[in-house]
Amino acid sequence: MDTVSLLKCLSSADSPSGYENEVLKVIEENIKPYVDSVRKHKMNALIAVKNGQNVKKLGIFAHADEIGFVVAKLEERGFLRVEPIGGIDPKVVISQRIKIFTKQGVATGVVGFLPPHLQKDDQKDKVPDYNDIYVDVSCSPLSEAVSVGDICVIEGRCASLGDKFSGKALDNRASCAALIMAASKLEIIKNRADVYFIFSSQEEIAGPGAVSVAYELGLDEAIVVDVTHGNEHVPQMPQIKISEGPVLAVGPVINREFYKVLCDVAKRHGVRTQIEPTPGRSHTDTDEVQLTRSGIKTALISIPLMYMHTPVELVDPRDVEETARLLALTSTVNL
Amino acid sequence: MIDLIKELTESYGPSGREEEVQKIVLKYLEGHIDGHKFDPVGNLLVWKRGRDDKEMLLDAHIDEIGLVVTNIDDKGFLRVEPVGGVSPYHYVGQRVKFPKATGVVYYEGETPEEQKKNLSNLAFDNLFVDIGAGDRSEAESLVSIGTFGVYDSYFYKNGNYLTSKSMDDRVGCAVLVEVFRNLKDPRHTVIGSFSVQEEIGLVGAFVSAYSFSPQICIAVDVTDSADHPKGLKRHAMALGKGPAIKIKDKMSISHRKVVELLEQAAQKANVPYQKEVLTFGGTNAAALQRTKEGIPSATLSIPTRYVHSPSETVSLSDVEGAVKLLVSLVDLNI
Amino acid sequence: MKGVKALYLKELSELDGVSGDEGRVRKFIEEKIKDKVDSLKVDVLGNLIAFKKGTRSNRKFVLTAHMDEVGFMVTNVEDDGTLSFAPVGGVDPRVVVGKPVRINGELPGVIGYKAIHLQKKDELLASPKFENLRVHIGARSKEEASRKVELGDYISFATDFRSENSRATGKAFDDRAGCAVLMEVIEQEQRYEDDLYFAFLVQEEPGLRGSAVLFEQLQPNIALVIEGTTAGDDPGLPEHQWATHLGDGPAVTFMHRGYVVNKKIYESILQVAQKYDIKHQYKRRTAGGTDAARLAKTGGGVPAGVISVPARYIHSPLSMIDLGDFENTVKLVSNILEEGEGFAR
Repeated sequence: MDTVSLLKCLSSADSPSGYENEVLKVIEENIKPYVDSVRKHKMNALIAVKNGQNVKKLGIFAHADEIGFVVAKLEERGFLRVEPIGGIDPKVVISQRIKIFTKQGVATGVVGFLPPHLQKDDQKDKVPDYNDIYVDVSCSPLSEAVSVGDICVIEGRCASLGDKFSGKALDNRASCAALIMAASKLEIIKNRADVYFIFSSQEEIAGPGAVSVAYELGLDEAIVVDVTHGNEHVPQMPQIKISEGPVLAVGPVINREFYKVLCDVAKRHGVRTQIEPTPGRSHTDTDEVQLTRSGIKTALISIPLMYMHTPVELVDPRDVEETARLLALTSTVNL
Repeated sequence: MIDLIKELTESYGPSGREEEVQKIVLKYLEGHIDGHKFDPVGNLLVWKRGRDDKEMLLDAHIDEIGLVVTNIDDKGFLRVEPVGGVSPYHYVGQRVKFPKATGVVYYEGETPEEQKKNLSNLAFDNLFVDIGAGDRSEAESLVSIGTFGVYDSYFYKNGNYLTSKSMDDRVGCAVLVEVFRNLKDPRHTVIGSFSVQEEIGLVGAFVSAYSFSPQICIAVDVTDSADHPKGLKRHAMALGKGPAIKIKDKMSISHRKVVELLEQAAQKANVPYQKEVLTFGGTNAAALQRTKEGIPSATLSIPTRYVHSPSETVSLSDVEGAVKLLVSLVDLNI
Repeated sequence: MKGVKALYLKELSELDGVSGDEGRVRKFIEEKIKDKVDSLKVDVLGNLIAFKKGTRSNRKFVLTAHMDEVGFMVTNVEDDGTLSFAPVGGVDPRVVVGKPVRINGELPGVIGYKAIHLQKKDELLASPKFENLRVHIGARSKEEASRKVELGDYISFATDFRSENSRATGKAFDDRAGCAVLMEVIEQEQRYEDDLYFAFLVQEEPGLRGSAVLFEQLQPNIALVIEGTTAGDDPGLPEHQWATHLGDGPAVTFMHRGYVVNKKIYESILQVAQKYDIKHQYKRRTAGGTDAARLAKTGGGVPAGVISVPARYIHSPLSMIDLGDFENTVKLVSNILEEGEGFAR
């Protein structure tokens, strides 16, 4: 499958934190041909193993979950209130279709917005918060089936925009795609370490997905693959750009020697990379994976992405491909 | 069960000083468990062996919020800081109980304006405690720096509602005790963890499951019931509608499989239940699920009004429902 | 017990070891203690763990101090050859302007600020922001600077240590004071009843990280965290808000953020201090955390106590401790170890 088709297929799966089954199924189908074994972990992760020379265990993590919502309260006349799963700007939620996974099937509701004609003066410039946002499911034949605790996502649509790709949940399905593509490359270039491709759960709520697997496997090295903000101006930071290749993080939560190995591998094989200084926590699974058991040598590779946590996240598929290449190459070196 | 709740809620057990309450729990459990131990951080762990080799762990935290003495002045007045999420407003004009003294909490102010300002922006730095001591040495003989205090509050029953301090989470402890008292030849081994130091960061629950291998963990704790005038808009929980199966709070999402098991158990026991989405807070489930290679975990909540006040209020029928639900859960295939 | 001379305080304070870059400090400690302990190892994260076998070995007792200090990281090389930077750990931007710094423990630089003559009134009153501050290393261009510095390099304050009037001033007493206490204890070359592990930890400042991997390696039964902690005896603060103060000995913690100190350990520390008539004080505020919180929450749980050398003005380029407090801390810790199995029983 080409990169764009794979991204499309992964982006379309609806799997907020804690409810990753659908996307893990898609991943399993796609990675199975390239690996020696695939299994589910009880904390809702998928572990795909490509055996190497039985010298070291390298874990490559990508979280498979996405942001979403859960129904918090039902109001009268088919309105309901929601609580976000992960950080979602309420401004993005306005005028979106919301898919609600009820026991009887998918109900689709809308988040409305009061027309200017009816707004009072003091409402004109006010940004709504979740206490002001209702999902209107009166338009769904399943409106009666909705109950507190049902999981929801914003309905998204994928689009190729020139050579870029946009869709929901590319945080972190872009990385999932990179892992699958890295696995496919190990058919040709032989990995030295045993490689565990781990598609983990609950990253968006800082849950126990990646750490649970890291504990069980007893890894020697770990690479966490996630996304980072592309084409943004962050004060005192270098600008990370999309289309300029995978981003290597450097900082206390990253093992310095392992980072240097990655830099070296990239340089030798002409993978263009960018550097992201990370003075504190990275706010990815890296932070906790490093501290598992007696400590794991951990690195963080990020794919640059624009409009994070909106339904129109945007990546350059070539960055995904180059990340896959870097991952595959890293598994061949003597760590 | 009412006597049990009364005794547990009225006892003294702020975070880090839980021994007295744990003793009460052990007294009620005598003859109903196969063994118990205290782990290195002070969690009380009890167990009842089952017919198969699977284990489940039920958790309730045994500590309560409180105050700790940080300073004593020449005149014998104390300064305090909160232990856990305590609002200073709940303490103004209230009494605080220390092991050897009881004090009145009040706020400073040298002018009416300053009093007003301090009251409207109340902070622990502006509160003091009067234990009736004449000077520093008299105060020190009763309450040294580093002594912990709790609300001086008492239990009472209002119809089907029960009110006291520290329903959070002694009501959970009472549920666990009742579950153990109702277990006859259980299918799975049931472990009860009466965990310490939850209120200041889930300390006990991070390690309580370490020496066991449970298939699932259930934290039994209180949750915000918003069914009073102008309760929080996005909270659906209400007293009297049964125990609440938590889907999500700020610190964790309940494991899907465990949620399904809890629902099954409720249906089998014919216990009404509600589902809970809490927009803040967290329970020991957030810590328990991180044990070793992960333990699927969830929270069963007792809807509670006025959480962290001296008058936390629950419905007896919800508490009894929680006991029935958990007893029924023990016989499901986990 | 031999006399306490604060043997290594100066060198420890002057070494640079921002969180994640503790290598220089570790090497120094390793060099000085290697012949005085039974074994030494450096773990995956970079913690230095020294072992001393006990005479009875019924209990594993770990003493910790963290090697890292707050500082900065180079986050960007600007076109004019200056460096942008961000804090590692909690540093108030108001303490950094007009300070000399060192990059990677060697390359000198300065953090300048706009001259007073050129600041408008609102600028004069405004707090500096990290995004507007730069380190100048004497480079004329991005290219020149990039030959000397890489993104992710570490920056420390370049403060010299001084000791006068029984007070010491310098940087990084949080927690090189604790490291120095442990080194003095090792210096005594005594055997105690418990098996002892001296753990010099990394990455305390960015979230109690080094201590997170101790349990898996050691399964300790009990721990004692030695800190350099906040003293509040500042003219601007009423006495009841001080936390600790200089001159009245080590501070004993009953509770801090995220952890109430194990009651038995807390009370035993006070008993030992009373028994040997060692001047001591309570830590009288509960803000701030130590590795004790992490130890209690890791693996099967390790109950820990916390003893601190009071230090004024921590998390800045210039802090101050009282050498008498330091000496009393060493005494208290040594006496605790001499109690052997009787301690916290």
